[in-house]
Amino acid sequence: MTSRTPLTLAASAGACALALGVAAPAVAAPDAEQKTAMVSVFHGIPGMTVDVYANGKALLSDFKPGTVTEPQSLDAGTYDIQIFEAGQNPDGTPALEKEVKVPEGGNATIAAHLSADGKPELTAFSNDVSKVDPGKSRLTVRHVAAAPAVDVRAGGQPVFSDLTNPNEDTAAVDAGTVEADVVLAGTNTVAIGPADLNLQEGTSNVVYAWGSANDKNLALATQKFSGMESTPNGVHAGGSGAAAASPNSSDAWLAWAAATGAVTVTGVLVARRYAGRRA
Amino acid sequence: MAAAGLAAATAAVLGVVLLPPGSGAAPADFGAGPPVHTAAVAGTPGAARQDAVPVREAPPERVRVAGVGLDARVEAVGVAPEGDMTVPDDPAVVGWYRYGPAPGSPQGSAVLVGHVDTDTGDLGEFAALRDVGRGETVEVRRAGAEPVVYRVVSRTTVPKDELPPSVFRRTGAPVLTLITCAPPFEPERGGYTANLVVTAEPVDG
Repeated sequence: MTSRTPLTLAASAGACALALGVAAPAVAAPDAEQKTAMVSVFHGIPGMTVDVYANGKALLSDFKPGTVTEPQSLDAGTYDIQIFEAGQNPDGTPALEKEVKVPEGGNATIAAHLSADGKPELTAFSNDVSKVDPGKSRLTVRHVAAAPAVDVRAGGQPVFSDLTNPNEDTAAVDAGTVEADVVLAGTNTVAIGPADLNLQEGTSNVVYAWGSANDKNLALATQKFSGMESTPNGVHAGGSGAAAASPNSSDAWLAWAAATGAVTVTGVLVARRYAGRRA
Repeated sequence: MAAAGLAAATAAVLGVVLLPPGSGAAPADFGAGPPVHTAAVAGTPGAARQDAVPVREAPPERVRVAGVGLDARVEAVGVAPEGDMTVPDDPAVVGWYRYGPAPGSPQGSAVLVGHVDTDTGDLGEFAALRDVGRGETVEVRRAGAEPVVYRVVSRTTVPKDELPPSVFRRTGAPVLTLITCAPPFEPERGGYTANLVVTAEPVDG
């Protein structure tokens, strides 16, 4: 199990466009004029239900901590994201505000969360929705908690180490259900979990470690993207060649040869020639 | 004797002339095989399912094609380390690609694979697929669910490296896809170089 370089992107990251270029080709199809991106929002600030505005328009209301929205299609561009405590007048001063660039064809999650030292902030993450190898599942962990550096373990084995807020790490792992926990970096002191993660084949699974260590409300939230499966390289279902030369082959199997009247003899010759060649 | 000798000689010549060394003949194709392009039926990348509960499908236990005497136990298989679909070692056992749809699924291609023969020279249960004709009934028995019945609509032979990705599609019209190996047999290229692909459609209840 290898961990790769984090694909972390700051809210303003221009590199986003490149990283996301291969992401969801089908997304923009409905309207070629409007270059769009898929955007979801994660709320990871404990104890505060919020309303979310994008460029002054209501995007989400009564959004509760620990939840993540379904991705929605937004025009690519720059958005002024404002977070208000639920029901507050949006003309007032937002609890949080940040300009977020949404690149064309991209897939991003905007996370409202606590910084390592407990201050609310907004971070935009780009979601890797490229294909995964057959039999694999993509696991991404984002540290958005008011907590120190952590290691992430699956089945007791370290998958990611020394992950700090507001960063992420990602890896392709064998599909299946794993028991995951989060420990303080370099220790066996469990900070969150264990929790069962159902990592389905051909999916991308984003796990948010959120909350506050001081307030003892650290928790995990997951976001799943599907449709990233790829097909096996091939099917190798043969052995000695016996079936290629079987004397009781049907006419269909040896249709061409039947016309020559040489079916059986040819078959036998082929069989003799190669019998025992393979171990 | 002379005639027989001549026939054998002719056969030998034919074997050399008409067949590349080591190849047998593939069965005749019928029906429209699986589409080569899958873009239209591929899943929607980026579609998220939060807290999605995976649909628990009834796994297949046995596959029968009574018309050709095929009757094999089925076990769930995945992917080998090199990225190929796993095929059960036992030629009497058929593998179901567990990451794709299960037989009886309302959408996508449920894939069953079996060896055509083994390294020891035994014929596999799926060798019988070469005798399968259009309209043949395929029955799949499942754990904890009623058997599902399919009817064969096509049989095609394709070079292994051109096996259409659509045979592994997870969306689109439901089909059962049975795959084994087919001639040409070229030991220097690792054995069989083609796949026999039989496609069957569900028979409405």
